[in-house]
Amino acid sequence: MRKQLVISTSTELVRIAPDHVVYISSDGNYSTLVQTDGGTRILTHQLGQLEKLISNQLGKESSLFIRIGKSLIINRSFIYYINIAKQKLTLSDVERFDYTVTASKEALKQLKELIEKED
Amino acid sequence: MSRLSQYADDFFEDFNDDQIRVIGQPEKPDKPRSPMRWDVLMWIMVLIGIGYLTCLLVEPDFRPDWMKTKVESEETVTQAEETNTKQQEQEIGTAVGTSTPGFMEIRDTLINDIPLKLYIPYNADMTLQIGETDMQDPAIIFSAHAADVRADNGAIVGAFVLKGKPLSWGLSKKGFCAVIDGQVTIGMADNSPLFEEATEKGGYFFRQYPLVSDGALVENEPKGKSIRRAICDRNGEIFMVECLSRESYHDFAQALVDLHVTQAISLVGSSAYGWAVDHEGQLHEFGLQSNRSFYRKSKYQISHVVWRKR
Repeated sequence: MRKQLVISTSTELVRIAPDHVVYISSDGNYSTLVQTDGGTRILTHQLGQLEKLISNQLGKESSLFIRIGKSLIINRSFIYYINIAKQKLTLSDVERFDYTVTASKEALKQLKELIEKED
Repeated sequence: MSRLSQYADDFFEDFNDDQIRVIGQPEKPDKPRSPMRWDVLMWIMVLIGIGYLTCLLVEPDFRPDWMKTKVESEETVTQAEETNTKQQEQEIGTAVGTSTPGFMEIRDTLINDIPLKLYIPYNADMTLQIGETDMQDPAIIFSAHAADVRADNGAIVGAFVLKGKPLSWGLSKKGFCAVIDGQVTIGMADNSPLFEEATEKGGYFFRQYPLVSDGALVENEPKGKSIRRAICDRNGEIFMVECLSRESYHDFAQALVDLHVTQAISLVGSSAYGWAVDHEGQLHEFGLQSNRSFYRKSKYQISHVVWRKR
């Protein structure tokens, strides 16, 4: 069975397949998880805690996710478009969803280099 | 917490906006720096020095004040003061007749490379309200979260007066906004007599982080970056400003100072949901819809700044 990501607090639990997560953004003490079905879920975890949780739960498979700056964790399979000058990163499956997020130029430059090396 | 666990936490939290990291993999060490070529550095400094001296001799604008004649120096200062005063006197909003139905003008601008959105009310009155704002009410043209709420019990943070009724007491943030007899006052004080006046006259009062006081930047404790919002007074003009990029309180407040805002306090930023209606009746939303649903279901006492058509 494929590994599932389980995010739990004292009162709530979210269980989701990693490839159904498009990205997670930070809102200070909260984080917002954006799903492939267009749904969003507010999580009472800081982004660093979620990064640690992903790393612990998914092991090697956690490399599916990339932390970008202080406020984003993205699913690398959905990287569709990077524009360094406009500081834009579009995450899309080119079918159902299309999300554009912003990141620093330096971070996007590094992301572009990473993808170029890997693909 | 063990030292090893502390190091692990630092690894996940100690991250800046220019870094990326594939999760589950250790960070690559920085490339070793090439050794400094002191001889090259020395030659660069000599060339800069020669260039500067040439500029001083040829171009008067490059001269420091003490090298200029008295008249030349005074002229420069007067010109700068005149430009600054003109910018400060000029109103942000445009002139609109009193018969025009109330609306919000939404304008984009860029200050210090920070993209800002200005929401300027016309022919509208500001009040506060608790609970969700009715989007179907045609009289309401603007709604945004006002005071912060406590995460543990959902209560309003800091003193709060709703239509003359005090709902919360205490000083957690020094900034305040009062609406008394339709007059909006934004400021910074430990104790403001406007709290009592609002209770006596059926007015409104809430507290938030101060950002600008008498045209000067106010520093705040939280250092993180987020989408920031503020209610501002610019020589009597009241409007809301939102930054479209994630900024620290310091950088956001500096942008407001450079916009010649005289008083400003923050509103709830980040994903807090709000909306405005422009002169064509078009709805403009900010924040996240999901945030609205989250608070709708919660016990939190969400307060809103609301502008209604006169």
